[in-house]
Amino acid sequence: MVNKKSLHIESSGQLCIYCGACVGICPLNCIYLDETRITFDERVCTRCEICVKACPVGAIEIG
Amino acid sequence: MVQNLKTDVLVIGAGPAGSMTAKWAAKNGARVLMIEKRQEIGSPVRCGEGMSKSWLPEVGITPGAWVNLEVEGARIFSPREQVFEINEKHAGNEVGYVVERDGFDKALAIDAANAGTEIRLKTAATGILKEGGRVAGARVKQFGEPFEIRATVTIGADGFESQVGRWAGLPTNIALRDMDTCLQYRMTNVDCDTRYCDFYLGEVAPGGYVWVFPKADGLANVGIGVQLSKVRGMADPRTYLDAWIAKHPAYSKGKTIDVVGGGVSISQPVKQSVTDGLMLVGDAARMIDPLTGGGIANGCIAGKICGEVAAQAVHAGDPSRAFLDRYEKGWRAKLEEKLYRNWYAKEKLCTLSDATFDKIIDALQGVRLEKLSVHNILKAVHDKYPDVTKEFEAFL
Ligand SMILES: Cc1cc2nc3c(=O)[nH]c(=O)nc-3n(C[C@H](O)[C@H](O)[C@H](O)COP(=O)(O)OP(=O)(O)OC[C@H]3O[C@@H](n4cnc5c(N)ncnc54)[C@H](O)[C@@H]3O)c2cc1C
Repeated sequence: MVNKKSLHIESSGQLCIYCGACVGICPLNCIYLDETRITFDERVCTRCEICVKACPVGAIEIG
Repeated sequence: MVQNLKTDVLVIGAGPAGSMTAKWAAKNGARVLMIEKRQEIGSPVRCGEGMSKSWLPEVGITPGAWVNLEVEGARIFSPREQVFEINEKHAGNEVGYVVERDGFDKALAIDAANAGTEIRLKTAATGILKEGGRVAGARVKQFGEPFEIRATVTIGADGFESQVGRWAGLPTNIALRDMDTCLQYRMTNVDCDTRYCDFYLGEVAPGGYVWVFPKADGLANVGIGVQLSKVRGMADPRTYLDAWIAKHPAYSKGKTIDVVGGGVSISQPVKQSVTDGLMLVGDAARMIDPLTGGGIANGCIAGKICGEVAAQAVHAGDPSRAFLDRYEKGWRAKLEEKLYRNWYAKEKLCTLSDATFDKIIDALQGVRLEKLSVHNILKAVHDKYPDVTKEFEAFL
């Protein structure tokens, strides 16, 4: 990841509540929720940051 | 090694829409397999747990231990907290019962199982199978082990986060303005009124509302939905909800025992819910009522039709889009007009200022409406504040 902003999801259980709001809104279908694990497909993600807004608890950071 | 499987109907997702579909497909003679990626059906809960009740008999659901309580109606609070009361019968699809949603989902899964559905938990669909251009089942992982399930008809009942439709190329993407991001606390030691589901409108929840759905004396779901296009910062729902609670002593003295989040679509329904070999149902087809945010009833009503058509397609040996179109027509005939009407009303409500909300609720004080309809409400408002109803001429 040299020229793309890095993607960081605080999914250690401290912030993320695994609700899937980010999954449903992602326009590129690159977020996946499996019970208590969220994964992003870094290759597909364009850093549009919609998921950052959609997260009700502010657990997603792109920076 | 897990064996590849074959079935008549594969249902992906064991929420209310999936279980209803599975039950009615099995009842009509199809072999049905329902898969669910979670380890427990219905849990964790992502719901305010309010639902209307008039539709239950028609889809074959009998109220059970999952009913927490029955409310008399809804109370709508204006920004300055004048109240307008609506009888339960007219109050939309979130008002009637307050339920134990995990128990409800399990009860529906049990109904599906009793009708002959096979159920596999910890089994996630990871992609769809195609055969001669039609959807023919799914690639899945059960307890992490990959295999394939072939099916004559596949059902995407995978909820708000639905991927099945997208995998098949159905247009289920939604825009920012078409989603509410939600957060809810289940709170104990609060002063809630168990006779009502409460809704607070205006800037307290931009493009959405704050809700208080009572579950028992002193116990309530206190939640918020904020329209995504109106979100300003990170964690807006939490910020707004915490601010609202802090201003309401009846709730600020409470203790939170559960945190629930999730996305709710407030869009028009999908333009196309079937393709060759595949049907989408429930949140996956964006069937949530865009005005109330309630999706349980619509998902179940469509689920029954979906299950029946799936079984018919199996018996006819024809899972083509042309055949499955019966489902598309069937659910639209039942739900679509109201979905569009409420979508339009929601679009209007989203643009109103707090001052306008205040006037509307004020105009309704002491007014006895013969029949509760948008038209009658607007007439009452028009009598007192003619300027306010200008924006709503389409309804009058
Ligand atoms: C905070 C919040 C409050 C709400 N409050 C209310 C309310 O008070 N009243 C109301 O009527 N509605 C409410 N809703 C909406 C309601 O919860 C939904 O409309 C309802 O759950 C839709 O049912 P469904 O069966 O379509 O989807 P879901 O109930 O979401 O079920 C989908 C299932 O599919 C599973 N799944 C997903 N992907 C896969 C996969 N790849 N493989 C296998 N399984 C998969 C999921 O784990 C899930 O169990 C609320 C929603 C939210 C987020």
